[in-house]
Formats: sequence, C-alpha cells, structure tokens
Amino acid sequence: MMRILGVLLLLCAVSGQAQEILSFENETERQLYQQLTAELRCPQCQNQNIADSHAIVAVDMRQKTYQLVREGHDRAQVLDYMKNRYGDFVHYQPPLNRYTLWLWLSPLLMLLALAGAGLYRRVQQVPQDAQSAGAEQQGLESELDQLIDRYRSKKE
Amino acid sequence: MRKVLFYVPLVLFLALALFLLSGLFSDPRERASAALDTALPDFALADLMQPQHIWTPEQLRGEAFLLNVWGTWCPTCNAELGYLTELRSQGVKIVGLYYELPRDPAFDAPFDLAVLQQDVTQKLAQHGNPYQFNILDLQRSLALDLGVSGAPETFIIDANGVVRAHHIGDINPQVWRTKLAPLYQQWSQP
Repeated sequence: MMRILGVLLLLCAVSGQAQEILSFENETERQLYQQLTAELRCPQCQNQNIADSHAIVAVDMRQKTYQLVREGHDRAQVLDYMKNRYGDFVHYQPPLNRYTLWLWLSPLLMLLALAGAGLYRRVQQVPQDAQSAGAEQQGLESELDQLIDRYRSKKE
Repeated sequence: MRKVLFYVPLVLFLALALFLLSGLFSDPRERASAALDTALPDFALADLMQPQHIWTPEQLRGEAFLLNVWGTWCPTCNAELGYLTELRSQGVKIVGLYYELPRDPAFDAPFDLAVLQQDVTQKLAQHGNPYQFNILDLQRSLALDLGVSGAPETFIIDANGVVRAHHIGDINPQVWRTKLAPLYQQWSQP
C-alpha cells in the first residue's frame, strides 16, 4: 500500500515538474507565444508541433521563441527566424509560391476539366442521340410494316 | 478520340501508383538545411578539451572539412565513430560539434565540464577518435542556427567557410560512397 502511494506521489511530482513556468509582460505576448509554438513544427519528431514535442530541438525552439517574443519580436519575425534555419518545413502553414501553387490550383483545374468534359459530352451527344433514335425508329417502323405485310399476305 | 479517352483512367491510375510508390522509398526526414550555400553563422564557442580556446568561423577557413554533430549520449553517433576514424586516416578533416543535452534543473546534476571531458575521452578511446578537435555547443545555439534537428548530423564546409552539404543520420560506408564522398571531393578541390 505504502509503495503504491509512493509511486503515485512520484508520478505527481513528475507531472508537476514537467510544466514550464514562463512569465510574460502581457496577455498579447502570452497568446503570441502559444500561437507560435502551436504553429511551428518540430523537425525531429515529425507531425508534432514544438509545443507538444519533448525532442531536444523542440525544447530549444520553444526557448528561442520565448526569448524572441520577450524581446518584442512580432509573429512574422519569429516565423522568419525559424524558417531561415529549418526552411518552410518548420511552419504548418505552407507559403504560396510556384511549387505550392498547385495545391490550391489543381482541385480548381480538375473541377474545370470535369465541367468542360460534361459540357463537351452534352454538346456532342444530343444531336447524335436524336439522329440515331430517329434511325432506329424508322428501322422499327419498316420492320413492322414488313410484318404486317407478311401477315396480310398469309391471310389472303 | 474515344479510344484515347478509354486509356485516360488507366494512365491516371498508373501515375498515382508511381507517385505513391516513390513515397515508399523516400525518407521523410530528408530535408535540406536552410543554411546550405551560406557562410557558417557567427559563433564564438569554446573548445571541448581546451576551454580557454574560443573557436570562431574565421579560424575554420582554409580547408574543407566535415562538421559532425554528435554527443556521447547518442548511440548512433557512437556507432559511426569507428568509420569516421577510418575516414580521418584517409585524410578527411573532421571537426566535432559537441551537442550537449539540455539539463532539467530538477533531475540532472549541473553541467560539469570535467565529467563531460572524461566521458568524451573514454568514448573516443573506445571507438576511435575521428576529430581534429571538438567545439562545445553547450546551449546548442550554433546547432539551432545551422538547422540541426538532432544527432548525428554532418555538414560539409568548404575552404571559404560556406556550408555546402547537410546529411541527417549516420555516416556509413554506403552513405559516404554514394552521397558524401563526391560532395566532399567537389568542395575540397583547391
């Protein structure tokens, strides 16, 4: 019993220590720090932001972000600082440039292509259908006439 | 026209399959450092073994070298020491950038240079010493400026102090032969 209690106490101690206590000048700075650490991506343990990650590099990047925010740098400056070191990779929001343009453009192009193909089919097929339907109708009618003729000639 | 259209879905499918197949063999960790083709960032860091000596980028000019980010705490780094030592004996200049772990004030003993030096000396005696010297990056500030995401990582720096290549992960005979040796040769030409 005492041992379990001891382990529980130990766990509490660990989770208490894991909290970093950071002080900020004002609420805006705190929010900026929280926003930045949520938006910056950890280069080591991928698919985690630096706020979530315990990797050494994430710890360092958090520290740097804190330092820069406290020094009065704005959001764009901190992001630039990190991008200058770790590339565009480090920000979860990819920039719009000639490589990433296609991410936005390709769904639009596909939609346009679909609409174009639909329109093309409609324009092409309507007269064709009408023609072929007419021809079919005529064929059926002449066949019917033949049948009627045959029936009549048999009867006579 | 109709015949061509008939093959469009097949072609699209094959293109998608090829794209996804290439993804199977790509390394998501592979990414070029933003420091590539720029001069080494400014730093003034102490030598690991002779802490009174301060290294600056100017002192590293004159000869191309490998800057190897490592730490005794990192098993992969220890594993590559042997091969790097072999490279040193072939005339490759290798400088160590010692990547010290951050310390948790609640759990870790405060940083002690003598303990670290002893640890490093022992590790290098055990696996081989590939380094001309080691630069101690206690705060990992140079590592951050170089875009280091962990250890081991290796940079090729040319004679003018410009970062020319960045390799994430260990150096083994295959990586050296296929990737780094050609680059090193290219940038160590006088």
